[in-house]
Amino acid sequence: MIEFRDVHKTYETGNEALKGIDIKIEEGEFVFIVGASGAGKSTFLKLIMREEVATSGEVVVSNFKLSKLKKRQIPYLRRAMGIVFQDFRLIDTMTVFDNVAFAMRVVGASQREIRRRVPYVLGLVGLQGKTKNFPAELSGGEQQRVGLARALVNNPSLIIADEPTGNIDPELSYEIMELLTEINRRGTTVLVVTHDQELVKSFGRRVIEIRQGLVVSDSKEVPHEI
Amino acid sequence: MRFNTFRFLVKEGVRSLRQNFFMSAASILVLVSCLLITGCAYLVYENVEHAFDWAYQQNVVVAYAKDEVTDERATAIKAELEAQSNVTQVEYISKEALLDRYKDEFGELLEDLQADNPLQDAFVISFQDLTLFDETVSLVKTIDGIDKVDYDQALSETLVKVRNVVLTVGVWVIALLLIVSLFIIANTIKLTVYSRRREISIMRSVGATQWFVRFPFMVEGIILGSVAGAVSYGLLFGVYEIIRQNFTFSSSLELIPFAVVWWQLLVGFLAGGMVTGILGSTLSIGRYLKEHTE
Ligand SMILES: Nc1ncnc2c1ncn2[C@@H]1O[C@H](COP(=O)(O)OP(=O)(O)O)[C@@H](O)[C@H]1O
Ligand SMILES: [Mg+2]
Repeated sequence: MIEFRDVHKTYETGNEALKGIDIKIEEGEFVFIVGASGAGKSTFLKLIMREEVATSGEVVVSNFKLSKLKKRQIPYLRRAMGIVFQDFRLIDTMTVFDNVAFAMRVVGASQREIRRRVPYVLGLVGLQGKTKNFPAELSGGEQQRVGLARALVNNPSLIIADEPTGNIDPELSYEIMELLTEINRRGTTVLVVTHDQELVKSFGRRVIEIRQGLVVSDSKEVPHEI
Repeated sequence: MRFNTFRFLVKEGVRSLRQNFFMSAASILVLVSCLLITGCAYLVYENVEHAFDWAYQQNVVVAYAKDEVTDERATAIKAELEAQSNVTQVEYISKEALLDRYKDEFGELLEDLQADNPLQDAFVISFQDLTLFDETVSLVKTIDGIDKVDYDQALSETLVKVRNVVLTVGVWVIALLLIVSLFIIANTIKLTVYSRRREISIMRSVGATQWFVRFPFMVEGIILGSVAGAVSYGLLFGVYEIIRQNFTFSSSLELIPFAVVWWQLLVGFLAGGMVTGILGSTLSIGRYLKEHTE
């Protein structure tokens, strides 16, 4: 599903964000990515989303070799993934329903598909009663569930979340993680960046730790570590 | 593209227009002034052309032959005049015929002149191109046997001057204003691009194609441009017709009716407005997308 082969990323400013990453993530996995602030976690995700391009090495995402990907093919790569943002990135002037439908309209879905799919996905994240509300009328946890619904609505095979619970009360963070594991149970690969050590421990999944641009531990390689 | 998708994109464009109402109104205003000035220049130009045609019909030159010119020589001179490339028609009037004409007008008063005719044989010459007026007149003067040439030089000179001024000043002013309009529209769209940057980043993250991201801004540009085109057209039409119907400059020369140029102006205004709108939006969204990879 995702493969990094000796990937380096140096920003134009000279910042060496990634210094040789080798990693493989299989289809259907649930992976936590942890590390201190500035370690290179977001850069790692941005390379997968093709928001940034590796300086050297190769990134492969669901059969797309990203170094060879043409600019106009990027949209089709992105359609294979759902992205969840720390700041939710909802459109304030649109209802919950329209925020989620927006992602479908953008890829040219029909009105019928939208009417069938959006309520279903909003049901999945437990927001069936809030379809007509505007983002400002929701709690942080609910807003992020809208973000999650939007990421899910086009049925991607990969979900990428960069600190999805960073702006949410801790007690509600657990619910978001639960939802993500539920999504993973249905077969979607899930990649979550988080600071929250407690949360990571309680879920007992594969954990990749990045420190100063390098992978310093990967629980998959040492599966029986305590 | 599905109709549903098209409708969505058009709605998005209209939505961002409404969100930036004042800037949109301002850019429409600027584009309207640009189009109005262009339209005025065009109308002046058309009217000058019309005046040329009129002057061409009115303004003929009369060349007079010297007294010693014989009938045979007069025929030769007529042939020589007709051979000039800028001359379309020559009418020969002998001094006897001329006197008869005057007698019709002034009657018995001229009876005494019959014996000793003081008039000269005349050639009434029509020109093809009034801008070559001076050259042609000098050529006529050099012909052997021609005494003097009478003409209304002032009118033709004025017309040539007006046309040249309208052409040169018009072209520069219009070019300048088009650039200004383009700049203003590009900036309006830039504002709406910035106010919609979250939507753009969401669109890109869920896999919208480039043109899909651009489309609402195109719609915005097209709407700005065509509204400006329609408003300018209406204004120009109204004001021009009021002027034409209420002021007469000369009893024989009138302004051309708007109806003569209605479609050229309509097509020109709408096309000009839309092209400026599309170009302006393409410029600013292209720039934004280049600078912001996210
Ligand atoms: N667009 C950028 N331009 C320059 N340097 C950047 C950019 N994005 C991140 N960096 C730098 O790269 C390093 C890793 O950043 P990031 O991947 O955001 O870390 P994390 O998400 O783990 O906090 C940091 O030193 C950061 O300052
Ligand atoms: Mg980060």
